[in-house]
Amino acid sequence: MNENPEKTTHFGYKTVAKTEKASMVADVFHSVATKYDVMNDLMSFGIHRLWKRQTIASSGVRKGHHVLDLAGGTGDLTAKFSQLVGDTGQVVLGDINSSMLKVGREKLHNLGLVGNIDYVQMNAEALPFPDNSFDLITIAFGLRNVTDQNKALRSMYRILKPGGRLLVLEFSKPEHQVLSKAYDFYSFNLLPKMGELVANDGESYKYLAESIRMHPDQETLKAMMNEAGFEQTTYQNLTGGIVALHRGFKY
Amino acid sequence: MLNNFIVAIIECILNTALELDPTLSDRLSSIAQKRLLIDIRDWQQQFLVVFTGQQLHLYNTTEQQFDCMISADIQTLMALKNPAMLTQLIRQDKLDLQGDLNIAQGFSNAFAALNIDWPEHLSDYLGDAAAQQLWQLVKQTQQQSQKVNKKLSTTLTTLCQDELKVTIHPLELEQFKQHTRQLKAHVAQLELRINQLLQAK
Ligand SMILES: C[S@@+](CC[C@H](N)C(=O)[O-])C[C@H]1O[C@@H](n2cnc3c(N)ncnc32)[C@H](O)[C@@H]1O
Repeated sequence: MNENPEKTTHFGYKTVAKTEKASMVADVFHSVATKYDVMNDLMSFGIHRLWKRQTIASSGVRKGHHVLDLAGGTGDLTAKFSQLVGDTGQVVLGDINSSMLKVGREKLHNLGLVGNIDYVQMNAEALPFPDNSFDLITIAFGLRNVTDQNKALRSMYRILKPGGRLLVLEFSKPEHQVLSKAYDFYSFNLLPKMGELVANDGESYKYLAESIRMHPDQETLKAMMNEAGFEQTTYQNLTGGIVALHRGFKY
Repeated sequence: MLNNFIVAIIECILNTALELDPTLSDRLSSIAQKRLLIDIRDWQQQFLVVFTGQQLHLYNTTEQQFDCMISADIQTLMALKNPAMLTQLIRQDKLDLQGDLNIAQGFSNAFAALNIDWPEHLSDYLGDAAAQQLWQLVKQTQQQSQKVNKKLSTTLTTLCQDELKVTIHPLELEQFKQHTRQLKAHVAQLELRINQLLQAK
């Protein structure tokens, strides 16, 4: 394996060639796509729904807005946004993984949400849209899977309209030691077991736990957003910092 | 987070009402996609309500964007039934309204006219006869509790009235104070005279 730091990146705790990470991440999500929603509810005890509600409450989204739900997967956020922007608005569900998009599309169709949603396969690092296209971009539990996160943040900045905002919902660093320990035990011991039992895929959930630990903490991500050009960047810890919601504006 | 959880449950209840009373959706349609921001002053919390045409969305938010905003204490909000009171409340600074008031009124009217056919919905679960019986029971209990409530409130009113007679009015208190002051002055004069008399001896 190439140990040159220029060319390597993290895949969970493993160091892999940058060119390989995307396809390895793809494998993970191909393999969990159909079980993804069930696992989400199970693993977070349903709390991910509250984290997502908080994201929508902080979005300022309204009728007529153009929204990109990046790394949107099975489309939980898209479902809400589609209703809130109405028929004069537009939501793009963007994901690098065709299996996740397919599950998302089926789910939203079954919910009767049609008309203002586009499903587009895309890589967050090179977003296929003109400058100043969106009022809002969200990326929920997606950024940590992206190989070059700084490049992705710059790409998001570019396609936001002036006045638009970015919301990053992502696992982060728990504020308290005790919570941190309990959380470690949960994610390294129980989580892969649950993955094994329910989705028959312990490896993918081991990757999940590892990738969460490798992800930048609250202040680091805030600095990265500022670096990419975002202004008035703030974050809010949810569930004791297990998850953080970062928000930044483009002016 | 707890807030968030409670708000999610309330949202769920609102949407159940939407399912159980099919006319609610029609009544709300004229204000679809309009954002009503409810600011509850004493809780220091703001809630955003939107009807999207399919569902009611309710969020606990700090965003300051709305089509209509209503701000008051929870008690004032709960008592807001009579539109004639509005101007008075606003003048007293107990209520603030901004934006398109038709939106607040739209929500209020739509829910005021809520009419859910409970026996009909319950019969899906219980069978017709049982549902009807259960409903009768609920109604009886309701009437009973209304009676009790009424009694309670009359008792309270009389109590308050009696209490009013017992407690002193500020004017009375003022009068009482004045009397005491006069009395004090008299005593002081008396003391002076006694002292003079004692010295003169
Ligand atoms: C954990 S899921 C989150 C799905 C959804 N946002 C949610 O919160 O339920 C992460 C998603 O990110 C996608 N993803 C990973 N790398 C990506 C990239 N470089 N660009 C776009 N999407 C990516 C994956 O395919 C996967 O669907």
